[in-house]
Amino acid sequence: MNAQELISFRNIRKTLLRRRVLDVDEMIVYEGECAVLHGENGAGKSTLMKIIAGLIAPDSGVVKIGGKTMSWRLAYRTFRKEVVYLHQSPFLFDRSVAENISYGLQTRGLGRNIIRDKVESAIKWAGLSQLAARNARDLSGGEKQRVALTRARILEPRLLLLDEPTSAMDHESREQTFELIRDLADSGITVYISTHESARFYQPDRIIKMARGKLL
Amino acid sequence: MDGLILASTEALKLLFTGDPDTWEIVGISFLVSFRAILFIVPLALVVAFTLAYGEFPGRRILITIFNSMIAIPAVVVGLLLYMLLYSSGPFGGWRLLFTQTAMIIGQMILAFPLLVAMTHVALQGVDLNAWQTARTLGAGTVRAMFTIMREVRFGLIAAIVTAFGRVVSEVGCSIMVGGNILHETRNIPTAIALETSKGNFEQGIALGAVLITLALALNFVVAMFRGRDRARH
Repeated sequence: MNAQELISFRNIRKTLLRRRVLDVDEMIVYEGECAVLHGENGAGKSTLMKIIAGLIAPDSGVVKIGGKTMSWRLAYRTFRKEVVYLHQSPFLFDRSVAENISYGLQTRGLGRNIIRDKVESAIKWAGLSQLAARNARDLSGGEKQRVALTRARILEPRLLLLDEPTSAMDHESREQTFELIRDLADSGITVYISTHESARFYQPDRIIKMARGKLL
Repeated sequence: MDGLILASTEALKLLFTGDPDTWEIVGISFLVSFRAILFIVPLALVVAFTLAYGEFPGRRILITIFNSMIAIPAVVVGLLLYMLLYSSGPFGGWRLLFTQTAMIIGQMILAFPLLVAMTHVALQGVDLNAWQTARTLGAGTVRAMFTIMREVRFGLIAAIVTAFGRVVSEVGCSIMVGGNILHETRNIPTAIALETSKGNFEQGIALGAVLITLALALNFVVAMFRGRDRARH
């Protein structure tokens, strides 16, 4: 692959309840690629993604960003605002759909008018106009995932990590979600998707296989 | 029976004619307890969040300790505080004994474990992914805390109201470190104890009526918020 390296990880280890759940010697994330982390449940996909997103700390490991090698903690501080992670069951705040989508922009301290314009445009992109004023908790599983994807996309992250984004969805919701994900990948955002199902639905540039905490 | 009816009638007169002594006692009670809760809530929230989302050794033991401390008798807190603030005690030089400040400190100690335990329970009720979601969307620690507090707002209000109800009606600590001084540290529970011991039931009943009304109102508020919380989840 000729793409530029965005971030790379070396010797990432994680032990939970005295069990080694992650043991990754090297992993390189390339700018603009759409990759699928494929493996059975319990393979360590979610743990790896949460470590990349800075949500949980590894027991050991170093990170390289822009050619500079640094500790995970320092890398997390540097890279935190560039990565967004979406849980398998996305958590939506007890607020309207529009307020959920604007949350990340508020944390970045943007002006009210800018936020409003961006939210309006994002809501149109996801086809959520009819739902904008509804409380996000009252939505179906597929609608929630669309809100969560929109909430992530609006932040224009360099790396978007999607953890089993279509699990437990009906056929129509899955198709809509695949379409949004492909659109995100086409827009230039680096997208990593974890799944235990077939990877081909996502039409990825690369499939990374995982088993028992290791990359195969 | 006639005595009780007569005392109750006199008690109502005291309340509805605006008897200054009675209402002053009510005012002191509310002011002291309100300040105690106001001062201790931020610390209790931080501790509850640390227990809910922190990963450190001894976390479970700490949770058990806070749960156990809910039942600590007010008079024991009063005794310990008295020993600390007594003129020859370690903090005797501060001259806090028999002041409203001492009562506030005592009530803060009483409210603290209750607030921590109830807030911790409320935080456990929220989706485990909530904290990580706020963080991955760019929220710093403080903003993420406020976001989660909004998610569990009904549980938080219930915790605060319950803690206020606990401290405003406690007598053991207030009487020991407050001293039950008229116009200074006499609050509703200490006044009831004193007036009853003197055989003056009118003011005792009047103040008791205020306390019962307050207890009913607080329970109503807690029930209302619990109901809303359940409806949302």
